[in-house]
Formats: sequence, C-alpha cells, structure tokens
Amino acid sequence: MTESEYSAGSIQPWIMGTAGWIFPGAGHMLQGKWARALILGGAVWVCFVAGLSMGGHLFSVSGMDQGISSLLQVPPTIANLGSGLLYFVCWLLGVGLADDPVHAARATYEYGNTFLLIAGLLNYLAMLDAFDIAAGRKP
Amino acid sequence: MRHFLVMTAFAFIAAAVFGTVARDTAGDRILYGLKVFAEFMVIGLALSWVLYFLPW
Repeated sequence: MTESEYSAGSIQPWIMGTAGWIFPGAGHMLQGKWARALILGGAVWVCFVAGLSMGGHLFSVSGMDQGISSLLQVPPTIANLGSGLLYFVCWLLGVGLADDPVHAARATYEYGNTFLLIAGLLNYLAMLDAFDIAAGRKP
Repeated sequence: MRHFLVMTAFAFIAAAVFGTVARDTAGDRILYGLKVFAEFMVIGLALSWVLYFLPW
C-alpha cells in the first residue's frame, strides 16, 4: 500500500504508529519500507538488548515510592515504555525491573540504563516516522 | 577502552536512527547520519576531557 492511498483523517497512520510502538520496526514493515524497518527496528532492538545485557534497570511507577521520589520515576518510565512490547515482556518475565544491588554495582549499570532509555525514545521517533509515512507527509 | 566502545555503539545507533528519520533522500540520510555520529563522538570526547580535570 502506498502513501497516496491513505486519505486525510484516515485511521491507517494511527495503526502504523501503534504497530511501530508495540513492535519496533513493524510500522515500517507493514508499509513495505523494509530498509527503514531494518535500520530503525534493528537500532531499537540492539539498543534495548545491549542495555539489558549491560545490567540496565527498567523504570516503573510502582506506587511504593513516596512524594517527589514517585514523580521522579515518571519521566524515565515514559522513556522505557517507548520500547513497547520489549518493555512489557521484561515486565511479565520480571527482567530488569528489580532494584538489584548486584546489577547496580556493575561498571556498565549506568550505560545499561541509558541504552534502555534511549531505545524507548528512539522508538518514539521511529513510531512518528511510520505515522508520517502512512499519512503521506514523508516519502 | 570499554567506555569508548560503549560511546561509539551509542553514537552509531543514535546516528543511524536520526539519519533515517530526518532526511528524505538516501545521500542526505548518509551524510546527516555521519555528521550526527561525528558530533556525538567529538562532543563526547571533549566532555570526557573536561570532566577528567574536574576534581569532584
């Protein structure tokens, strides 16, 4: 399906954007943009897996924290949520979400955190790109 | 060495995504990606030297 087939106000761009958010790269794959899907989806996947392997921590708003501490968890949680299914699979499996002092002591812990945050933020960019392509705003 | 490799990997991944989403033609994407990669590396190295001299 080409961009020109989508009319203004169509639901298709929203579907592509949502698909791209849920499964990094899917928004472009569904539109036949294989190279973009490989580069953007691949970058997000590699970034996320590298972050986890470096012992990074996934943030969540659990309600266990009090006051300002709870608020400080919100921005990184939003960034982590950008990874879509990857985040939820880790959440279901209990991987990367626990406050583990062994992981926190690793030299690459902060790098891992950064990679996990960036994976989500890059996927937000990829998601918007898939939306724009489906809406006919980009080639 | 590990820090440099991680920084390089980060710069490469971010540059690949920025280059892909920010421009419309293949040539422009590659040029922009290379520019972003170079900027990440140069600024990262410059900042690391600045922070090296800070005692705290």
